[in-house]
Amino acid sequence: MVRFKSRYLLCEVCVPDRSSLQLLEDRTIYNTLRAAVNRAHGDYGSALFNIGVIVKYLNAHTGVVLIRSRKKHYRLIWSALSFITCLENRGQKVQCFLNCLHVGGTIRTCQKFLVKYNRQQLHRMLPDCKTDAEKQEVRRAILSCSLSNVREEEADEDGSDDDGDEET
Amino acid sequence: MSVFMDLNIISSNDKNRLKSIIETAAHLGYSTVAINYVVEPQQKKQEIPKPQSVSDIFDKFPIVQGKSSPIKVLNRLTIIASDASHFVSCIPTNEYKSFDLVAVYPKTEKLFHAACMTFDVDIICIAVAEKQPFHFKRAPVNGAIDRGVFFETCYAAAIRDTTMRRYTIANAISLMEVCKGKNIIVSSGAERPLELRGPYDIANLGLVFSLSEGDAKGAVSTNCRSVLLHGETRATASGVVYTMKKPKTPQKQEESPVSKKAKTELA
Repeated sequence: MVRFKSRYLLCEVCVPDRSSLQLLEDRTIYNTLRAAVNRAHGDYGSALFNIGVIVKYLNAHTGVVLIRSRKKHYRLIWSALSFITCLENRGQKVQCFLNCLHVGGTIRTCQKFLVKYNRQQLHRMLPDCKTDAEKQEVRRAILSCSLSNVREEEADEDGSDDDGDEET
Repeated sequence: MSVFMDLNIISSNDKNRLKSIIETAAHLGYSTVAINYVVEPQQKKQEIPKPQSVSDIFDKFPIVQGKSSPIKVLNRLTIIASDASHFVSCIPTNEYKSFDLVAVYPKTEKLFHAACMTFDVDIICIAVAEKQPFHFKRAPVNGAIDRGVFFETCYAAAIRDTTMRRYTIANAISLMEVCKGKNIIVSSGAERPLELRGPYDIANLGLVFSLSEGDAKGAVSTNCRSVLLHGETRATASGVVYTMKKPKTPQKQEESPVSKKAKTELA
């Protein structure tokens, strides 16, 4: 079977303060990544970047990015990811780093991983909850994490996790 | 899921910075970190700083991402050696005992040779911020591998500056050519929480350093664990007998083979 195989890199943008995440756009990530690949791997890297790479999804609230690249060259792109130190968005520089969570062959596998990961994050938030009401809220969000709601939409991530934000 | 460790976090007097670095490390998935006290002995005898007790930094350690146990924090000493007199006979072993790991950063070829063959250290650091002043020879490197000493590369300089990146990659590749990917660990050398990277990212960076895939992942997980065990056996008699003071009787000998998991308490 002849098929275009690709690799999806699921990454998380880690910033010291979450408020600076709000203005993130996929063009920003794309441009920063292109500059990083150019610096790290030169013209060869830029050429590979131009043919295969595209930012498929970005969630500005949680900082999750899904980057797609060709199967043959995803390691090269991945190695340049680690060298990114700041994202520049309309003249504002945000100090951050990209942490790769998962490499998947399809968007669905990345979705499944993301649902599991978000459930883990909620579990980690549970001990930090101050009031009982917050605890109930987080527990409800954990129980409602599932993949069934997103079967129709391909590009939508996060399961049903939008209310379980990382902010406590 | 193997155990990932980051064995080089530069210590500072600022507790909040250390706290945020360790929290970031726990978030990224590291099970163990080591706080590095760097010492450059100027005169013949300079005092070695006492490591601050780990419980000073945190009352309750942050939980590691993906596991349910808290992160372990160890102490490590790095000695920048420019003169052989620091090590030879007047080894201040008492002060070294309070550190879990001991590392040396040799600046000359003779020191490198001596460190590989004779010094009582766990880790040998490789220069990252400058051109390597000497070439690695196969003889001392193989001797170090036989003894169980590990070579360490730090990647924080590569992240900070492009010129450093070239030096780091060049030195790392020349080391890999000589040691064939054995006994390598990669650690961060981070001074700020933004300089840390996740373990899988570093395993990928190992490919840039021309390590094979298995070696690269091992450089962050299994080799680090071997370094810890080596550090523990420094306190025992060739790693076979481990003495421990029991509360009732003053002294009791306990046999603990090093091939199994050592019964120790890393507090």
